[in-house]
Order: sequence, then C-alpha cells, then structure tokens
Amino acid sequence: MLVDFRPHTRLCATRDAVDFGATLGPVVEALGAECTDLARVRVVADWLQYRANFREPVTVRPFVAAGATDADMAHDPVPKPPTVRDDDLELALDVRRCAGLDAPALRDLARRAIRGSDHVPLEGWGRMSESCIWGFNALYWQALDLWEQATGRSYEQALPGGESDARNRAGARELIAELFAAWDRLAERNALPPELYVVELGVGNGTQAKVFLDEFVAADHEHGHEYYRRLHYLMCDYSSYVLELARKTVAEHDQHVSSFVLDATSPRTALGFLKYKVFLVYISNVYDNLPTDEVAQLGGRTYGVQSRACLPRPAVDELAATTGAEPERVPALVPKLLRLGPALLAEAAPDHFGGVEDAVAFWRRTWAALRLEERYVPLAGLDLYPLTPEISGESLRPLLEAGADVRMHVSNGAVASFVDTLTLLHPFGTLVCHDLFVTDVQAYRTRFAGPGKYDGSVVNWVNGTLLAHLGRRRGFEVAYAPFAHRDGTNVVTLTAHVRD
Amino acid sequence: MLLPTTVVGSWPVPEWLERLKTDHYRGRVSRTQLDDVHDTAIKAAIKDQELAGVDIVSDGELRRDNDVDYFLARVPGVVLPLSVKEFYYDYYTVTVPAPLPPVEGASLGLADDYAFTRAHTDRPIKFSFTGPFSLAQRVAEHVYPTRAELVHRLAQVLHAEAVALAARGATRLQIDEPYLAGHPQQIGDAVEAVNLVVDGVDVRWGLHVCYGNRYARPSWEGHYDFLFPAVLDARVDELVLEFGRKGDEDLPVLAHGGWDRDVGLGVIDVKDPAVESAATVANRIRRALELVPAERLVINPDCGLRNLPAANARAKLAVMVAGTARVRETLGPPTATTVDDRPTVATAS
Repeated sequence: MLVDFRPHTRLCATRDAVDFGATLGPVVEALGAECTDLARVRVVADWLQYRANFREPVTVRPFVAAGATDADMAHDPVPKPPTVRDDDLELALDVRRCAGLDAPALRDLARRAIRGSDHVPLEGWGRMSESCIWGFNALYWQALDLWEQATGRSYEQALPGGESDARNRAGARELIAELFAAWDRLAERNALPPELYVVELGVGNGTQAKVFLDEFVAADHEHGHEYYRRLHYLMCDYSSYVLELARKTVAEHDQHVSSFVLDATSPRTALGFLKYKVFLVYISNVYDNLPTDEVAQLGGRTYGVQSRACLPRPAVDELAATTGAEPERVPALVPKLLRLGPALLAEAAPDHFGGVEDAVAFWRRTWAALRLEERYVPLAGLDLYPLTPEISGESLRPLLEAGADVRMHVSNGAVASFVDTLTLLHPFGTLVCHDLFVTDVQAYRTRFAGPGKYDGSVVNWVNGTLLAHLGRRRGFEVAYAPFAHRDGTNVVTLTAHVRD
Repeated sequence: MLLPTTVVGSWPVPEWLERLKTDHYRGRVSRTQLDDVHDTAIKAAIKDQELAGVDIVSDGELRRDNDVDYFLARVPGVVLPLSVKEFYYDYYTVTVPAPLPPVEGASLGLADDYAFTRAHTDRPIKFSFTGPFSLAQRVAEHVYPTRAELVHRLAQVLHAEAVALAARGATRLQIDEPYLAGHPQQIGDAVEAVNLVVDGVDVRWGLHVCYGNRYARPSWEGHYDFLFPAVLDARVDELVLEFGRKGDEDLPVLAHGGWDRDVGLGVIDVKDPAVESAATVANRIRRALELVPAERLVINPDCGLRNLPAANARAKLAVMVAGTARVRETLGPPTATTVDDRPTVATAS
C-alpha cells in the first residue's frame, strides 16, 4: 500500500495541525477488512480548501484495466513497462473533514466507500470536462439574475474581498503606459495601425473597463497623441446579462466600446477579424471557471481521470420530496433544468414546480448536493488524448516526463482560450490575465487545486506551467507574478508577449 | 515554362521529429542518429513536393533547428554560452566576443546539404539560406563597432558558402531576410550585404523578404514600400514576397518602385492551416498578371511551410499547382516545358 499525503504543511502547522494517524488508522483497518490485496491500493490525502466541493470525506477511485473501456478497444495493447505499478483502487481522504470524524465513523465511511457508494449517477463515465457540472456552471452565468435574486447577493460579493481584482487604477495606469510606449515605437516607424484594439474577456459588471477607459482618457490628455480617438475597446463575456450590466457602467465611453457574447474557449469565433491586431487582451477570473480534465502519472503509467456526476441517495429523496416527484424521476429533472433553465423548467414541469422560485430552489439544492465519482483509465498515448480539438496531449509530455507520481488539471478550457487568444495579438501585443494559477508542477503534489464550488460556479486552479509551455511553443514569453495591487490574495498575474 | 511553381524553403516538422530533435539537444539522440532521421525525412519531403506537382523543390530545410542557429552556430568564431536547448526550435544566445577569423572557404556544410538533395530528385532545386542581415540581428553581443560591420563579415562567410554551392551544381539560390521588415531603415545595409554574398556567383538568385513566420506568426506588420528604391541595387534575379496572407495591395509597390525583374508571388497563406481553393490561387495569380507579366512570375507560398501540419501543407501545394495550371491554360501554348535557371542579372561587381 502506498500512502500519498499531499498537504504537508498541515502536519506541522502551529495551529490546527492535522493528526493524520487518527485518520489513517481506521481507514487502513477498513481496507484490511475489505481488500484482498493491499499491495495494489493507494491512499491519498488532500486538504480541500473549498468547503463547498464535489467530494465526500472518504471516496474510492478504481483503476480501470487498459483495454477495459470502449475508447481503448480500437487500439493495439498499450505497452506496459515491467516497472509500472498496478493498482486496483485509490482511497481518497479529505483530511480537513476527516479530522472532524471519530474512528468508528471513519471506519464506517471507508467501508461503505470500498463496497460502493450509495450515489445516484446523473451521467455515464467520461472526461471531467464533459461532465454536467459544466452545464451547471454555464447555467449559473446564463441565469445569474435568478441566482442572485435567490441568494440576495451579487456574484462579486461571493469573491474573496467582495470585489474583483480587476478594478485597480494603478494596474490600469501601468498597462496603459506600456501600451502608449509600444504605440509610440510603432508610430516612429510609421507602422501604427489606424485602429487600436483592446479586448477584455470576462467583463464582470464593467468596472474594470470603466477604470481602464477613464484612466486611458486621462493618460491620453497628458500624452497628447490622441490615441483615445483610435481606441476600440471590446468587452466580451459568456453572459449577455453580465454584458448588459457592463455596458451601462461604461456608457460614457460608448463610442469606443463594443460588446460581444462569446465562449471564452474560442474567442476567435467572434473576434477572428482581429487576428494579429489586438494590442492588449485583458482577462480576469475566467480561466479558473472553464472546463478541465485531470491526468495522473501514477506508478509509471499515465491515466486520464474519468468522472461522473451523481447525487447522494438522501439528497435525491429530499429533492423528490420538495418537487413532488418519485425519487427515480429526480435524475431526469436535472438535464431538463440544464437544458431549459429554471424559468422554462417551471413552465415545462408545473407538476413539480409552482413557479420560477421553486425551480431555482431545485437548482440550488441539486447543486449543493452534487458529487463527482472518479476513476483512473490508462491513456493509450499522450498524442491520442485531445487536450483541445486542435492540441494533442503530447503537450503534456514535458510536465510528465520526470515520471514521478503527480495528478494535475490540464485546464482544457483555459488552454483553448489562451492559445486561441494568442492568435489575436499584434506582434507588439500583450495578454494580461489575473487568475488562480498553479505555476509549478511540484505544487500538485502538495495541494488541492479543485474542483470546488464557488457560489453557483465551478472553480479550478489553472495549470500555469502548461499554459507557459504552450505559450513558449507559440513564440511567447509567459511570466507569472503575484497580483501586484492587493496584498494577501491568491491571484496571480500571467503576462504573455511575443519573444524573439 | 511560364509560372513555374516552387516553395520558399521549409517543410512541416511533425511532432515526432520535433521530439527527436529536442532529444538530440538533451543528449538522448546522437548526431549520427539524427542525421539519419533527417536524411529520411528530407527524402519524404522531396517526394511530397514531387507528388504535389511542384516544379522546383527544396530539401525542406529539415536539418535546420530554426532559421538562424543552423548557420550562425557553425560560423567559426561564434560562441554559444549554452549549447543545450529545452526545445530544439528555441534560438541559441549567440555572441561574437572577438573579430571573426578570415574566411578560408565554406565552413557551414551547405554544399553537402545541397548535394544530398540533388542525389534524390531530378527536378530543379531551390536552395535557400538565411541572409547576413537577419543572422546578425540574432547575435546578442559582438565586438564590432557597428552591427553593420558584423553583417558585412557574415556576408563574407555566406559568400564562401554560395561559391561552394555553385561549385557543387546549385543553380537557384535564395537569400532569406526574415528580420528585414522589422528594421526597414536598414535596408541599405542589407542590400549591400546581399551583394557581397552573391558577388561573382553565377546562379539564379532570389531574395525572400517576409514579415516573419516564427511560430506561424508575423513578427512585424507594414508594407513593402520600405524596400524601394534600395532593393533595386540588389543583384538578385527575383524578389520572393508574401501576398497570400496580406492581400495584393502591395503589388503596385513593385511596379511603382521600378522592379523589372522576376517576382516570387506568395499565393498561399502559411500562417493559416485552412487550405485555399485552386480558384483562389488562380485569382491571386490573375490579379498579379495585371501588374507583372507571366514571364516574370514564379508561384510560391508566402513563406516556409514548417508550421503547418504536413497534410495541410501537401494540400496547399496541390491547390497551388492546380490553380497555377488553370491560369497557364489561359496563357496560350507553352513556349517551354522546363524551368529556366539562367540568371537575369550579372552578379559580378
């Protein structure tokens, strides 16, 4: 048996130190009673900093044999080096929550997890990026007004500190000064285009845009080159509701602002006409909210982590009671909710929902109860794993080639968005992104990086090492730095610009 | 032959070859093994061009890690503080801490590269190499009082290569200057260096100027008007330019600037994997024919194909050939069926 304890700092913390022995002991006892071959078991312990998440305190992740899934049937056998460690299952502990349980409760949880959890699946096994949790995430942004009405607070209030890091005047002035310097250089060579494009992906309530534009006008007055006259500021967001709010915020700049509803994973679908023309792309808290898979290098073999969303049986019973549906019919209401949204769901299923408020309540209860089961499936080859439709998993090789055990997010949505956005940049352009990044593969061995639930959305820390690697392979210098304009934040600033 | 088709130089580098090249720079694949891989890949690249119907082929520049290091790192006197690379395509940091030694003949091995290609195809061959101006831009530190002097010294090195290439039978050489568009005010120095390279080398010379193709991105933006009038002094037979991606609004610049020699007309956007149609190619050629007579047009992609997936590159060349054939059919019966490799300008000073 292999025990992988990731949150090392919790063992020797001066406050709230974890007594891992008290957690591990009962779990090992349960494993001993339930498993025939402990040599093929991994125990992995995380500290889930998101109190709202998709995990039980104790869960089991089986290892699926190569060739056992449909996806592998067409391929030749995957060569298996003799040094590969074959495991049957991984038992995952959230040591934060386990610390609150006594030994019999832990033993009981572990035993039940090993025998098979009493969950009602909402979907089949598949890539996590294709799970219905992303349907919930999309619904949150599409029906944000209804969610906010129900919770009584705006989504910005759900952010740490109650506001986005984007609305920072010093940061905006810094960006504008860099833009002006680049434009001055181009103007000297008679190479400054007549239209100067700035794109913002994920606009929030428009405050960032307003701060930027106000500061731009002030700097332009001082500078005297009349760049504001040539400026086109493009606000882009997935949510038309959010865009509408943002447009009102920047009403005084409306001659220079356009807004686009777009999917952040493929900005070129709406902005293709700006290829190589954008001088600044500004992104704040978008990537951590885009679909992702996870891959794992364990015992010398690379696995894809498959998942399926499910609901605990008691939650299904409760949802059935509140909607007047039979418990077995509750799972069918979920895809209907995701397809129609709460407003139309109330109309489509009047027997279960008295009105929109009831449908929103069903949405929120389901979301709160939602869990993800996981399993490991060997990858037949990195190049056979599509990181995005255009990028193969081969890009992961430098991150995995050391061969050490690691499980990490591959941030498919962020990768697609980042790579697609780079093609918009002018040779003198810059991409600036504030978000939650893991900037060192080693960090995946010591900390939990998601998924967590953030209000009604999904949050994952973004694989910054992978983005940097992909950026470099596309001719960009990618740098990370702690967000410079607020102390004590987890936010990291990514900056990308053309090198060579 | 009217409207001969050709390539600018480079051929797609597939992922597996990138891995092998990178492994070489990390010491996992020997030089001999990598050379063998390159030989095999080059033969395949030549065959692909032949199958696509391209009239004048290249070796795909597949031996080169990028457009600079293959040359610069071999120049006697050039120093590489670090000779390993994280990725083969990265540029070395290069310095010239002391004056380069006098040139005593070819030292870069380009003639051998040409000879290998010659041995594997019966078609005319274009052999290209990066020009002295662009090579000099990648030197981080040097001992010369001005960069122009470094450009001059590198031109002498390349001149020796050109002499050796011609001696081995090369008839069509091309100087690539991918950095020139980023330094338009230095066009005079660049042309002077080009003339040093071609001096007395009696082949058909092309000069390729684009807006950069590193990682399939333009490194600069602008217009070709910066080339004139200085480029008129360049003793080259052909200007090879990109028009496929940028559109042909710069074509009149050639006529207004007084360019009366051949034009390598870029009709394929190498920065976009989407494959053009033969009709698009034909239209691009027809628009060019309004300004340049068919006798002076050579049809090629905008730049090297290295950043494209191989299947897309093959498809793009095929439509380039098909589109060209459509236009040829409208130009009357062919006056010749072979490619003319004769120089049109005297290269001797």
